[in-house]
Amino acid sequence: MFFNSLSFAVFLPIVFVLYWFVFNKTKSTQNALLIVASYYFYSCWDWRFLFLLVFSTFLDYYTGIQIEKAKTETTRKLWFWLSISVNLGFLGIFKYYNFFAASFSELVNGLGLQTSPLLLKVILPVGISFYTFHGLSYVIDIYLKRIKAEYNFVDYSLFVSYFPLLVAGPIERATHLLPQVKVKRTFDFEKAKEGVYQIIWGLVKKVVIADTCATYANAIFDHYQSMNSLSLLLGAFYFAFQIYGDFSGYSDMALGMSKLFGLDLLRNFNYPYFSRDVAEFWRRWHISLSSWFRDYVYIPLGGSRGSKFTQVRNLFVIFLLSGFWHGANWTFIAWGFINALYFLPLLLRDTNRSNIETVKLQWDLTSVKVFFSMLSTFALTCLAWVFFRAKSIGDAFDYIGRIFGDRNFKVQYLENERYSYEILLLIFIFILVEWNTRTKIEPISGRYSWLKVTLCIAAIVALGTYSDYKEFIYFQF
Amino acid sequence: MMKRFLFFIIKILLLIFIVLVLLDVAYTQVYLQSTHRGKIDYVYNSKARNYDVVILGSSRANNHFVAPLFEEKGLKTFNYGMSGGHLFEASLLVKLMVERHYKIKNVILEADLNLANEQQSESVASKFLPYIHSSKVIKAHFAQQPHFWANYYIPFYRYIVFEPQIGFREMYEAAAGKPTKLLDHLGYYPLGKNPNANMKNDLTNLKPLNNRYYEEIKEVCKVNKINLVAVMTPMCTNTKGLDYFEKVHQVYPEIYNYENVVVGDQYFSSCGHMNDIGARLFTNIIISEFFKK
Repeated sequence: MFFNSLSFAVFLPIVFVLYWFVFNKTKSTQNALLIVASYYFYSCWDWRFLFLLVFSTFLDYYTGIQIEKAKTETTRKLWFWLSISVNLGFLGIFKYYNFFAASFSELVNGLGLQTSPLLLKVILPVGISFYTFHGLSYVIDIYLKRIKAEYNFVDYSLFVSYFPLLVAGPIERATHLLPQVKVKRTFDFEKAKEGVYQIIWGLVKKVVIADTCATYANAIFDHYQSMNSLSLLLGAFYFAFQIYGDFSGYSDMALGMSKLFGLDLLRNFNYPYFSRDVAEFWRRWHISLSSWFRDYVYIPLGGSRGSKFTQVRNLFVIFLLSGFWHGANWTFIAWGFINALYFLPLLLRDTNRSNIETVKLQWDLTSVKVFFSMLSTFALTCLAWVFFRAKSIGDAFDYIGRIFGDRNFKVQYLENERYSYEILLLIFIFILVEWNTRTKIEPISGRYSWLKVTLCIAAIVALGTYSDYKEFIYFQF
Repeated sequence: MMKRFLFFIIKILLLIFIVLVLLDVAYTQVYLQSTHRGKIDYVYNSKARNYDVVILGSSRANNHFVAPLFEEKGLKTFNYGMSGGHLFEASLLVKLMVERHYKIKNVILEADLNLANEQQSESVASKFLPYIHSSKVIKAHFAQQPHFWANYYIPFYRYIVFEPQIGFREMYEAAAGKPTKLLDHLGYYPLGKNPNANMKNDLTNLKPLNNRYYEEIKEVCKVNKINLVAVMTPMCTNTKGLDYFEKVHQVYPEIYNYENVVVGDQYFSSCGHMNDIGARLFTNIIISEFFKK
């Protein structure tokens, strides 16, 4: 059940009506309804993995309490590591086992020994990376005595399984979401209205921008060997907007629909393509994951304290982990590695926090410099996306090699029966809209909101891509 | 608070409905003016054409019957074969021609592989949908099809579902009056040699049906006194299950079997489609067999 499907368009209003009109007496009834709705939502993907979700929830709930109750440090550690091991164990089996087995086998075969890897025939449970990270952050926070354990199982389950964030985030923190589910929610018209606007804008990003860009990006990446320099450049450009529209559109919808239930989720995107350097990009892209790695990996490793060597080591650790989190493929690791390389000069020169405030442009020379820094950051990001999208690292290098080697800039007619340039105007308009609203959550609220809603609805129905249905990219992670 | 929100949602829903209606009207108006994007709008937006020969069928009609060769013999002809089309669409097209008061002496129908299928070809059938409210035959033809209710009653639904065929891009190009190549060469689409073509085919699992739409075409022709010539057209050498054509003959003895009149892969662009040379050979045979003066 995708957020942009008809079945979800039926599911959401039903849950909304039950939540505010039938189960609105106490926070317990509200939470119970949301849990049932969330489990139903999850079981629509694959009911068998519901057991995994419930088990994972119970494990972290129980170990959280045991960590808090433990009388000795050894017992605390024991419960802590039990939770961490089982959580990562599930992730390892379902997401990474086959990758490691196949890679090990390839390595051994490369040494002249013949092995055939024992591969598991399992499908990746949707959202496992997200809900595992919810649970991990909760258990780590209890272990580090940042928070108290949650004794109400329903409340805790809702924190882990709340359907707007269950399958693709944002990765919530107990400190942020749990206090909200501990109190009865009252309906707030302004918040709900903002939520509706955010859902509409999220749909524009998904079906108009991401899915349309996907038809072009796929046509180019899937036939990159017959593409010229211009098409290959456009392919990377389109994929950049496909993945941005897809994931930030999903996040907007998740945040928007959560507001309908009176719950605020963590912001996940903050106009990342207007970043002036890669450090700023990573403060604006998939914020909940970046901050997760910062708080639970980077800072415990020493963060930016210590020698330059330690800092560089920590930098590569979090970027490689971040890449690997996305999927069991060397291409994601390479993507993480490239981003670490981009970040390295900023770290060495201590300039990684020089662009904190929202970018502004004026008619002066400084703004020209700022504009080019945004452009170059975007170009570097696009180059890294090639590794994220390519089937193998070899393909990615070949793709990039052809961009610079082919030097043919004629417009090509693509496999999707479109010319390679056809959606540039649409993307340009999208960039303008985003630029003008970069200090806001979404572009609809404010003056002329009804006109803007009308334009968005017209864009969704008239310009959306519906024929070649595409899942949200981040569901596979 | 909640009351305000419910009003807000009602206004949004109303707005969606208005946008859908306005877009539906706008798109439909564009298609009602379009005459040169494809064979369907070419027929729909026309009146009372006269033909000696009309060719119908799938791509195996579109690529196999060289309409200009008929014209050279003094026969006013147009090839209405549609790539990807099934008999569902061929039947509707001939009914639409009758609704438009066409005067047709002969219909040549390619009836072979498509007899095994009674489904609509969505990519072709969808091109009739802009006219579903303005043509009785189109409405009636789709009435038994899945999603008819949604296509007919939900404004703009058909333009969303069939977005690649009749969505924004096609509407824009129709509005801009951009012609396609589909109407060149009197509807005949010549194929060249294709060095990468798949020159084999397997028809062993294909079974000809008592095809409802073939029967419809026969009935329309009978009622309107049109001479129907149904033919099977050639396949490449490496085709398994060529007895399919015999099976067709058993079900419908009136369909002429011309599968084996052009032999040799040099005459084919792919296994089921002759190239221009093969098509010319084939067309000359058909003309000499049926249109000797």
